[in-house]
Amino acid sequence: MIRFEQVEKRYPNGHVGLHELSFRVRRGEFLFVTGHSGAGKSTMLRLLLAMERPTSGKLLLAGQDLAKITNSQIPFLRRQIGVVFQNHQLLFDRSVFANVALPLQILGLPQEEINQRVSLALERVSLKEKALQAPADLSTGQQQRVGIARAIVHQPALLLADEPTGNLDPRLAAEIMSVFEDINQLGTTVLIASHDLALIARMRQRMLTLQRGRLIGDGEAV
Amino acid sequence: MSAGRVTPDQPGERVGATAKHQVASTLSDTRGFRNQLRAWLESHRASCKDSLSRLVRQPLGSFFTCLVMAVALSLPMGLALLLENVSQLGGSWQRAAQISLFLELDSGDTYGELLRDKIAEHEHVAEVQWISREQALAEFQEHSGLGEALRELPNNPLPGSILVTPEVIDKETLVALLDELKSLPKVEQAQLDLMWIERLAAILQMGEHFIFALSVLLIAALLLVVGNTIRLHIENRRVEIEVIKLVGGTDGYVRRPFLYMGVLYGFAGGILAWLLLAFGLEWLNVSVVQLAQLYGSEFSLSGVPIEDGFSLLLGAVLLGYIGAWLAVARHLRELSPR
Repeated sequence: MIRFEQVEKRYPNGHVGLHELSFRVRRGEFLFVTGHSGAGKSTMLRLLLAMERPTSGKLLLAGQDLAKITNSQIPFLRRQIGVVFQNHQLLFDRSVFANVALPLQILGLPQEEINQRVSLALERVSLKEKALQAPADLSTGQQQRVGIARAIVHQPALLLADEPTGNLDPRLAAEIMSVFEDINQLGTTVLIASHDLALIARMRQRMLTLQRGRLIGDGEAV
Repeated sequence: MSAGRVTPDQPGERVGATAKHQVASTLSDTRGFRNQLRAWLESHRASCKDSLSRLVRQPLGSFFTCLVMAVALSLPMGLALLLENVSQLGGSWQRAAQISLFLELDSGDTYGELLRDKIAEHEHVAEVQWISREQALAEFQEHSGLGEALRELPNNPLPGSILVTPEVIDKETLVALLDELKSLPKVEQAQLDLMWIERLAAILQMGEHFIFALSVLLIAALLLVVGNTIRLHIENRRVEIEVIKLVGGTDGYVRRPFLYMGVLYGFAGGILAWLLLAFGLEWLNVSVVQLAQLYGSEFSLSGVPIEDGFSLLLGAVLLGYIGAWLAVARHLRELSPR
């Protein structure tokens, strides 16, 4: 599903975001990427979303080399990926339903199908009854779940999450992780960037550890 | 859910070829051309509705933007219409270029009328009028205020004359016509105020140039107004645009609502400009009619012709679209997700 081969990301100011990073992720896998601030977690996610390009090396996602992807291909690549942000990135001028429906509207699905899929996604995150509410009326945990519903509503092959539990208390964080596990059970590859080692340890999944852009660990979290 | 579509149980199905081809093949295999067309139309309908509702939600701001556009559009259009109205005084312009032929005193009315008929057949002559010696004297007595003094004269000193209205106001043609008429038998003198014709042509040309320059300036201003308004809308929706791009929205998808916004601004601005012109000309017409009546004329301004109105509307919509396109194209690169 994902293949990093000697991937390096160097910025014009000389800062090295990732240094000769190599690893593979199988389809349907659940893994964490951890490390301190500046370790390269976000850089890795940005490369996977084609928001940035590797300076050198090979980065394959679903068989496609992201170093060579054209700008016109990027939107179609992103339609296969679901993204969950730490700060939710919800649109506060529209309802929960409209937020979750956005990826489907971009795909141009019929309204009837949009309604069905949004209901299903909201049901998965236990927010079906909040569909018509404004995101501002929800708690932080609920807003994060809306963000997850939006990320999974178009049934992506890969789900990326950047510190999805960063602002949540341990109970809510566990709830969110349980939602991710459910999604992974359906076959979606899940990659979560997090520095919450205690939470990662509880999940007992594969963990990549980054330090200053280098991979220093790859194994099951203990 | 239709067969073959990716379901929650088959998330890996899209994986394989390139991203664009994967999605494209998924859509074409399972949805068909008609469904894609419907989706495309639905997307346009949604963008148009969304843009309209955003304009309606800010009525005052939208109104003032449209008003600025309307003023910018109606100024050159109004001047062009006024110039057209003035040029419709056509007869008067041509009369200003009339050639007066004064015949010898002994020519007689019969000869004058014969000559009039002959001149009327000329290809560059629009109208010919014979003024006999008696008519000339009567008119002179009436308009000069020297009626009593003229009655004391033993003989009528005024010659018979022919007024020739040329078909076109063109200096070279007029000079040639003048020379031709001058050489006719019993024509004592032929007069044409060429200086006035040149001035008139220069005034008309200046008016046209002025309107052209004003149009160019105001079109540029209009594009800036629309572009700036759209830029503000883009700024206000930056987060939304970033999210749309992150979940797979194409540049076209991002651009679409703003283009509709430009078109809607243009449409509303065009309608407003049409109304401004129609009411403005009507209001001005009251004074023009009064002034014309003082000169014994029945001249009045004509309103905005329907075809000109539609041209104005179409131009406004196009300018709105172009202004929005320029603004979005300029800012689209800055809208990449951060």
